[in-house]
Amino acid sequence: MRKLGMRGGLLALGVLAMAFVVACGGGDNGGGGGKTGGSIKIGSVLPDEYDPVLFQTVQANEPLQLVYKGLVTYKDVEGTGGNTVIPGLAEKLPEVSSDGKTYKFTLRKGLKYSDGTPVKASDFEHSIKRLTFLGGPFAFTMAGIEGIDKYQAAKKPNADISGITENDSTGEITVKLTEADSQFLFAVGLANSAPTPAAKSPFKKSNSIPGAGPYKIQIVNPSREYILTKAATFKVPGIDPGKINKITVLKETVPKMTQDVINGKLDFMTEDPTGDLLPQVEAKYKDRFRLDPNPPNTYWFFMNHTTKPFDKPEVRQAVNWALDSRALQRVFGGRLQPTCNFIPSAYEGMGYKKIDPCPWGDPNGKPDIAKAKQLVQQSGYKGMKVTVWANNKDPRPAIADYYRDMLNEIGFKAGTKILDQQVYFGTIGTKKTKAQTGFTDYFQDFPHPNDFFEPNLSTAALESTPSFNFEFAPTPKGVDATLKNLKPKDPKDVSDQWAALDKKLIESGDIAVYGSELASSFFSERMNFDNCSGVHPVYKNDWALFCLK
Amino acid sequence: MATEPATEFTFEGPVAFEEEAKRERVAGLGPWALALRRLRRNKTALAFGALFLVIAGLCLAAPYWANHVAHSDPYKNHLTDTVTVGGKKKDVVKPNGVPIGPTWRGRFLLGADSNGRDIAVRLLYGGRTSLLIGVGAALSTALLSVVFGVVAGYFRGFTDALVSRSLDLIWSFPVILLGVALGTALALGGLKIGPIEIQGDSKLIPILIIAVVYVPYMARPIRGQVLALREKEFVEAARAQGAGPLRIMFTEILPNLSSTIVVFLPLMIANAILLEAALSFLGAGVRPPNPSWGTMIGDGVEKIVTGPHLAVVPGLMLVLTVLALNVFGDGVRDALDPRAKLHLEH
Repeated sequence: MRKLGMRGGLLALGVLAMAFVVACGGGDNGGGGGKTGGSIKIGSVLPDEYDPVLFQTVQANEPLQLVYKGLVTYKDVEGTGGNTVIPGLAEKLPEVSSDGKTYKFTLRKGLKYSDGTPVKASDFEHSIKRLTFLGGPFAFTMAGIEGIDKYQAAKKPNADISGITENDSTGEITVKLTEADSQFLFAVGLANSAPTPAAKSPFKKSNSIPGAGPYKIQIVNPSREYILTKAATFKVPGIDPGKINKITVLKETVPKMTQDVINGKLDFMTEDPTGDLLPQVEAKYKDRFRLDPNPPNTYWFFMNHTTKPFDKPEVRQAVNWALDSRALQRVFGGRLQPTCNFIPSAYEGMGYKKIDPCPWGDPNGKPDIAKAKQLVQQSGYKGMKVTVWANNKDPRPAIADYYRDMLNEIGFKAGTKILDQQVYFGTIGTKKTKAQTGFTDYFQDFPHPNDFFEPNLSTAALESTPSFNFEFAPTPKGVDATLKNLKPKDPKDVSDQWAALDKKLIESGDIAVYGSELASSFFSERMNFDNCSGVHPVYKNDWALFCLK
Repeated sequence: MATEPATEFTFEGPVAFEEEAKRERVAGLGPWALALRRLRRNKTALAFGALFLVIAGLCLAAPYWANHVAHSDPYKNHLTDTVTVGGKKKDVVKPNGVPIGPTWRGRFLLGADSNGRDIAVRLLYGGRTSLLIGVGAALSTALLSVVFGVVAGYFRGFTDALVSRSLDLIWSFPVILLGVALGTALALGGLKIGPIEIQGDSKLIPILIIAVVYVPYMARPIRGQVLALREKEFVEAARAQGAGPLRIMFTEILPNLSSTIVVFLPLMIANAILLEAALSFLGAGVRPPNPSWGTMIGDGVEKIVTGPHLAVVPGLMLVLTVLALNVFGDGVRDALDPRAKLHLEH
């Protein structure tokens, strides 16, 4: 989901409790121990949206996953164990038919939303209708449910989705898929598909929808501050109820929040310290700072295939030849791990296979500018104006400036357009914007390689507005057919085929991958760093695990 | 940063000059010669005027510095380059992202920013941008103010009411707020009025925004002066000789406004430079990667802990420029405004 973050989905396939071992940091050290109670302050760039079906960023998922729990959810533990799907509002993991197409959930009894409204089985269908009707960024994860297409065609919010049936008195929910989908259950675990009370969840954007989760949210000012407080009535076995009583989240710039964490005015920051502050923080505050490859992520430059000059493969290839990951590593303050793979290395055994040699040169070596210039010359677009898009979150403007300079070096007249982080992805994801090229990233939503492909590169992704497919074309050629073939299968069983798709994408040069980022966790001295840093592969940091010393 | 023109004053015009000239026993000297003579005596104003000229000269020499000394340009990234300092090769930007500090040599004299761009080069080019916008905006403000002020003051009645209320409307918004609102709105789509199209990243956008938000501050005193001038005998005489409104405005009134405009200009330039810096700092003025002192301060603030010079150096240039213009502007005002001078002498 997350742009500086996103996520994806998986299928139940019977093996439901699978602890998807996505080779990331440390083992399960759980959230055990640590003081309960107290209040903390967090600095953030704030969520892109507060509506559970509309948000898409990591900064939104971190708090909202605590407010809106799904029928299933992810285990609240650090490390790879966090990839494990566990029962959420459903009393157990669903029964899955032998063909992998039917899921039967049963709601826990006596559950209530934060406003006291009882949780009903039919609320799940309502949430899926909202997700679909409002065109939420993760609507595609539910597109495999029977009758979704007819629901969309009807264009009536309250029309029926034939593939979802429920019984409010017994709490049973049955979901039928048109075909087996190995990411479906993972998607059900996202806050985007969490049940919300139908009567209080209108078919329009809303910031006041109650949820069922360990915390409830009070939005003081959507662009300034919100507060999470523990929902005393929410007690579900297996879901961490959270240790901190009150979490106040404030909008701040990254340098300011870094200083405030150093000085103890803030207890945590959702962002990474800026490039030149990073070495200082790393050196001086080792006891409360750590770097992790979680959640797994990929950074690349998108190139809109429907606009000049990126409609020509020569130009896209030229960008790949000219890309200098060593330069970008500096822009990231050393936190970038250069790679040419689109699937992150954390997916070893689930689709990742190092592409060696990289078709566009060693990602740790010098770029081939001469080759790039030659390709631009061949394309006939030399001297064309290009606008590089990026957002204002540090170091994105610096990334855009590197890219602008590189495009100028290979023969274009490039400039930059920097938008606010909160509107950036929505703007470039709208086709009429005609964003030519620019910055994008993707953070794992759930541990499945399709999470990276379908939202960013498929035709299905183009059905959402805004879309994450900034190429505005299925990429690479034939990706839709390949995904259709791979999606129903457990990624571990078809790892080589996912790796082949990854290689085909990179060899096409349709996007320009340059690396994956190490994410930081930086806490104040008040926080129990050793036991409660909450690094999580799906949420980035699971705030339910945070605790004070 | 200042959000409003720092100086307000009333101005009596050439009639007062004549009285002043008699008093100083320099009859025979014209008002401009008299003003120049007074300005020459004001060494402080001249010193600061010279300082402004030095700064402007340095900025104008930016291409020479960039091409022949620094061997770079204000946009060129040097992320993976090295530079020799004291016989040792050093990364312009270290692998952990820390840029080189001042080398006190031609290349990277003041160090590099996080993209490995030469700060000294950007500072000089940024000065060109700031001065261009300051001068452009001040001249535009003067032009618009003269048009609105003269038309409103001369015709009075409905025209005056329409113009004055429009100016009041602009005046009712805080300058920064209005500037940021306009800057943000125009940043994405640019400006399109009929056949005229200005791109969102054009320097004309901040020039226009600053010109518009400052018009009331200059147009209102001009209007007041025109209201007084139109009742003077020489205007009556011109009217009696059959001169039409346009002729009277151009030949009788405008020449009598010239000294007012001259006094206003340096102060308006200073204020326009300050507002440009403020808007650019807030991301609503000059668009990256174009350098301006405001954008450089904005970039530098992000690195204020490890690289304070990134913000301090452009900040210092800004302060010196605005100070120079303000002190020189005050000197011009004192030279042209006998009442102010009399007041000082008392």
